[in-house]
Amino acid sequence: MLDAVTAAGGVAATTDAAVDCRALTKSFAAGTVRAVDDVSLAIRSNEFFTLLGPSGCGKTTMLRLIAGFETQDSGSVFVHGQKLDGLPPYRRPVNTVFQSYAVFPHLTVEENIAFGLEMQRRPRPEIAARVAEMMALVKLEGLEKRKPGQLSGGQQQRVALARALANQPRVLLLDEPLAALDLKLRTEMQLELKRLQAQTGITFVFVTHDQHEAMTMSDRIAVMRAGKVLQVGTSADIYDRPASLFVADFIGDTNLLEATRIGARRFRLANGVELDAAEEGAGDKVMLAVRPERGVLVAPGGEGLPGIVEQAVYVGADTTYHLRLAGGLRLRLRDQNRDGSAARRAPGDAVAVLIAPAAVRVLAP
Amino acid sequence: MTAGLRRWGLLAPSLAIVGLFVVAPLGIIAFVSTLDRGPQGTVVWDRHSLDAYAQFLFERDLMGRLTLNTDYLRIFGRSILLAALTTVLTLLMGFPTALWMAFQPPRRRGLLVFVVTVPFWTNLLVRNFSWILLLRDGGVIDAALRRLGLTSGPIEVLYTPFATAIGLTYSFLPYMILPIYVSLEKLDRRLIEAAFDLGADRWRALTRVILPLAMPGVVAGAILVFVPGLGAFISPELLGGAKSMMIGNLIQEQFGQSRNWPFGAALAFVLLALVLLALGLHALRFRRERASP
Repeated sequence: MLDAVTAAGGVAATTDAAVDCRALTKSFAAGTVRAVDDVSLAIRSNEFFTLLGPSGCGKTTMLRLIAGFETQDSGSVFVHGQKLDGLPPYRRPVNTVFQSYAVFPHLTVEENIAFGLEMQRRPRPEIAARVAEMMALVKLEGLEKRKPGQLSGGQQQRVALARALANQPRVLLLDEPLAALDLKLRTEMQLELKRLQAQTGITFVFVTHDQHEAMTMSDRIAVMRAGKVLQVGTSADIYDRPASLFVADFIGDTNLLEATRIGARRFRLANGVELDAAEEGAGDKVMLAVRPERGVLVAPGGEGLPGIVEQAVYVGADTTYHLRLAGGLRLRLRDQNRDGSAARRAPGDAVAVLIAPAAVRVLAP
Repeated sequence: MTAGLRRWGLLAPSLAIVGLFVVAPLGIIAFVSTLDRGPQGTVVWDRHSLDAYAQFLFERDLMGRLTLNTDYLRIFGRSILLAALTTVLTLLMGFPTALWMAFQPPRRRGLLVFVVTVPFWTNLLVRNFSWILLLRDGGVIDAALRRLGLTSGPIEVLYTPFATAIGLTYSFLPYMILPIYVSLEKLDRRLIEAAFDLGADRWRALTRVILPLAMPGVVAGAILVFVPGLGAFISPELLGGAKSMMIGNLIQEQFGQSRNWPFGAALAFVLLALVLLALGLHALRFRRERASP
């Protein structure tokens, strides 16, 4: 699994960890809801790290524990070796960009950005210089004297970013900062965030439920569910080598096929068809995960699993075919429209599907 | 043309109400204030003079000359001072209370708002009378202090301006708490978290973020306390005694025992002018603040 680290096994403290969470647990509603459940996680220095998961998985609570807005029931948080347990938010070397921006409405753009520096009682000339630097960094020059009410959502987001970065935190926490922006602006800000992270060298811890966003920006991603971290790895790790059924299902689109082991790397599907995998996996009853784009459609009669096209969903760049294989087994397959829309197959067409062993991921059911 | 008629037609009910209940009474007061006082304390409807306003500053001595009389000015000064003191005291007590209320769980907040309004259920007169029982020598507070050995003689608080201030502060506290609570309750909690996150401790989060954002509530509360406080007459009447008379008592006296309606009406108008002046100054400051970037 290359450098993917599963959280369940616990992570030894590494010296270059920017954020080191050890056995963090946090319950709400008098202990009935475990928002964060015994999570250990090491985030490296200068890393763009993303906590990804469906709503209610505990990712925002993780961030609030690191920022100090919530207090953990047990476990510890270290930032660059400094233990943060018991420290109030204003004594922690981290800053937060909030989902709702939380830009101070009664202060101008430059007053907002200067706020953190003033709290640190920095000398006036230094504050002025840093504010100017931040205005340039987030490309807001000329808007210094505006109030947040006079700014667009995207501009407010930039003010929130500049305000958090002005303090030169060692770690920047971002809580779904792009959720309220429209698609075009969001894409723009994703690249912007990536640029800022590279330019400042600050460790970014980013929370999102949007896997596209996560994969676009992150060096590594932690997939969370029900207060647990299920898998930590690069975009390719969690997409190509999901560690569990949930990750395989949650990240991208996937075909999940129940199968029985008949050899070291050979499995029989529910309809009797046999399939080879490149890996062994574990157990006799397994679940085979096949990404729709990994299968290849060919003419029937030769090699491959025979089937019939039930539905063809054309979306321009590619077409998704819903196939019915022998024995009623259903399979989704995505085919790039390299030859334009003319070459599409129509519902009712007989086809065959080639699935290479390397395309088959063997998971515990 | 019909649209114009229609608009006036629709406006008519509110215009009638404003005219009947605001403009007309004020007009009558203004008219009365320019009349002469009759021999038996009546008003002479057809003799006009500004004597009532002159009486505010001057009195006629035995020789018939006008000399400066500062008695009424002093009463006005005392009223302004007591109303201002009341505003400050209610603010000092009301803001922390409202802040605490706003940070309670939602269900408890509703209950607390209800509790704050409970005093309104009882007559203001009765509530001020009960302060007499608390404050008088030999009363609850006096007896308790003496039993504890903290004082040896009577506390001598009742019938002083201090007692008036206590009564006013008590009476007007809810008017300060409620508007501040409203502005704090709708305050985005993330702004406070953002302040903490950026390194502000509790005190600076309060002074730099919470207080400025609660300012509309504070101003509303200050107006709701200061303006009626200026014209209050129950607390000074019952608790303050003769030496701490306020404008309200003075006006009431002119329409009551003194039977000097023109003077009472003139006093009411001077009070109104004072209030409008204070509000005007505030509006001016507010507008300048908004205009500046």
